[in-house]
Amino acid sequence: MEAVVIDAGSKLLKAGTAVPDQAPPMIIPTQMKRMLEEGSAADSPVVEDFTVDPVVRGCIKDWDAMEDLLQYVLYTGLEWEEGNEGQVLFTDPLFTPKAVKEQLVQLMFETFNVSGFYASEQAVLSLYAVGRISGCTVDIGHGKIDIAPVLEGAVQQISSKRFEIGGLDLTKLLAQELAKSNPTVNLNISDVEKIKEKYSCCAEDEFAYRKTQETNEIEQHTLPDGQVISIGKERYTIGEALFQPVILGLEAHGIVEQLVRCISTVSSDNHRQLLENTVLCGGITAMPGFEDRFQKEAGLCSSAIRPSLVKPPEYMPDKLTEFSAWVGGAILAKVVFPQNQHVTKGEYDETGPSVVHRKCF
Amino acid sequence: MYGGDEVSAIVLDLGSHTCKAGYAGEDAPKAVFPSVVGAIDQMEVDNSTNGEQNSAVDSKTGVKDSERKGKRKLYVGSQSLGFRRDNMEVLSPIKDGVVVDWDIVDSIWDHAFGECLLVDPKEHPMLLAEPSSNSQQQRERTVELMFEKYNVPALFLAKNAVLTSFASGRATALVVDCGGGSTTIAPVHDGYVLQKAVTSCPIGGEYLTDCLLKSLESKGIVIKPRYSFKRKETRPGDFQAVDVEFPNTTESYRLYSQRVIASDIKECVCRAPDTPYDEASYSNIPMTPYELPDGQTIEIGADRFKIPDILFNPSLAQTISGIESFAEVAPNFHGLPQMVIDSINRCDVDIRRDLYSSILLAGGTASMQQLKERLEKDLLEESPQNARVKVLASGNSMERRFSVWIGGSILASLGSFQQMWFSKSEYEEHGASYVQRKCP
Repeated sequence: MEAVVIDAGSKLLKAGTAVPDQAPPMIIPTQMKRMLEEGSAADSPVVEDFTVDPVVRGCIKDWDAMEDLLQYVLYTGLEWEEGNEGQVLFTDPLFTPKAVKEQLVQLMFETFNVSGFYASEQAVLSLYAVGRISGCTVDIGHGKIDIAPVLEGAVQQISSKRFEIGGLDLTKLLAQELAKSNPTVNLNISDVEKIKEKYSCCAEDEFAYRKTQETNEIEQHTLPDGQVISIGKERYTIGEALFQPVILGLEAHGIVEQLVRCISTVSSDNHRQLLENTVLCGGITAMPGFEDRFQKEAGLCSSAIRPSLVKPPEYMPDKLTEFSAWVGGAILAKVVFPQNQHVTKGEYDETGPSVVHRKCF
Repeated sequence: MYGGDEVSAIVLDLGSHTCKAGYAGEDAPKAVFPSVVGAIDQMEVDNSTNGEQNSAVDSKTGVKDSERKGKRKLYVGSQSLGFRRDNMEVLSPIKDGVVVDWDIVDSIWDHAFGECLLVDPKEHPMLLAEPSSNSQQQRERTVELMFEKYNVPALFLAKNAVLTSFASGRATALVVDCGGGSTTIAPVHDGYVLQKAVTSCPIGGEYLTDCLLKSLESKGIVIKPRYSFKRKETRPGDFQAVDVEFPNTTESYRLYSQRVIASDIKECVCRAPDTPYDEASYSNIPMTPYELPDGQTIEIGADRFKIPDILFNPSLAQTISGIESFAEVAPNFHGLPQMVIDSINRCDVDIRRDLYSSILLAGGTASMQQLKERLEKDLLEESPQNARVKVLASGNSMERRFSVWIGGSILASLGSFQQMWFSKSEYEEHGASYVQRKCP
């Protein structure tokens, strides 16, 4: 039976059997609605449903919700049968605390009774997807941005950085900006998400950005409930915020500058190898104009060696950046499980959850 | 007695230059960041907004600050320090090897637990590394802070030298710790530091970096800090660095940024010379190029060998203009080999032989190329005839930098160590001074 790869992000959960050169068969939002059953909560007379996010800023926070979500994914989505569970490969973001890893292993073996388990870091997997084992990953996700240099498959923990900003904050920024220019329209966060995906783009450089702030080319967009809003210079603000976080109110340098500074803490023999193999991943990087702007900023950063982006191989699907960690996981699954390098049920029963630290790195 | 189950201990080593933190049992610390903080005085904030400031989510501003010094916002970690802010001073909590500012230490630990390791200190026993000659008052203060503020379940204070010797698998060794702020030589015998023979001197990596900086300045090379220039594209494909003025940047921040670049130059380019340095023989040495962040390429020749030789021949520093007179900095320092011999001579005659044959090099500065060979050669010349001198250093420069931390990681994961923790209940029963008994 094929192994299953699951990449649980803050916004989208990518899951499927490990077939490396295709997009993951299941891409579902990692957001659930909690519905209270009639009569179960005696003290709340009104049946309310509200949304629950099991994964916050990349980290699994709500374990009950995660369990329900995984139950849906494995049994309904991927059609596993109870009693015949297979092997699972999970992806971890940077700096996952040991306790979280152990809890995940426990959940998988005790609740789901899988026969094998493996966990790997998202940064390493994204590099595998483009055919490299050393390089630098810039993962711009919904809940966080991770910059991780990887050498020969090992993440250099000391030089990695994480920023607690991501697509979510950009959406909030867009909502604020749109509210300023369209005061009469009532905006829902999920509508703003869709608008962000459709309209946001990146200016060519700082000067071009300033010009867009002055001109006023407006487009009209109709919301699902019929209201019409106009979008003008806000579209460029979203892309610009990644290169000038001052727009988001943060005191930090832009992405390229941060990348260069991270690399400067690694020993200098490896600088060239890391910077010239930079991989961008995450949904936001598919924004029109982002890659060109990145290359442009790379020329202007304060380092002797310029970062340059890696081109994904041709046999990979388009839009690889949105799920490169999943594809890398599929590649890894094909290697790890047949060679029995994963954590088996027997080993888990013998040693307990801490076995994950020894077998999976 | 703390009978912990599979919960991992955390090893914390706050050095004068970098702070290392991570889980016990691993082979490298997860969090490594400078042990200096950026501080912005907020005296100008008027009283009406004081209430909001205090209840702000940022826990770095302790309430005690307002009583003593006026409020300060502290920025910890290489990410926050890397961003230039107006009026931000760079402060170090440690002066002359002794902690003077406990609020800064507090904020550094907060950063390590809350932002780097993402752990709750309540659930993990802590192993702290302390300088080999730490005063009783400092130890008690550390213990108090850990138990009262962080509510750790158990802790242990181990001396740096002991941890280094564990990392190399020896119980008896002479540890030469060339760190950022100072160089300390401490003999360890059967796991205990022989206090009367511990010598220390303020010449460390940072001093060498300063010497390099001044030396380059006297040759007319100005190192521009990363924030002070911006690249502009003059023609397609042609870039030029243009200076940007930031008048409100403090002197300490500018120096800090320059030091970061200079220490990188030092790590890449400097090597310890095989023979003592003298101007004449090294004047024709071929120059090594180094590219600065702003694109400027500089050539470094004799300085490559002169700077490391300061460890062996301190009077060389006086030839560099701008460095204060050596006599003020380290009156008794006659060179590293001499310090080693002094230290060994203060020990009992019986163990001197064992110490000579296991001299361990540790610390960031010790990862300089050829330092081990040079030290061995100099010691062979100056040591007594029948002593067999052997200087050991792990091959990997990462391991040398973190050998104290690695020793802590080994110690905290030993089965036989688990009964030696100083637990919270013992602290509550006997008080902070009990640490002298529990952590020898």
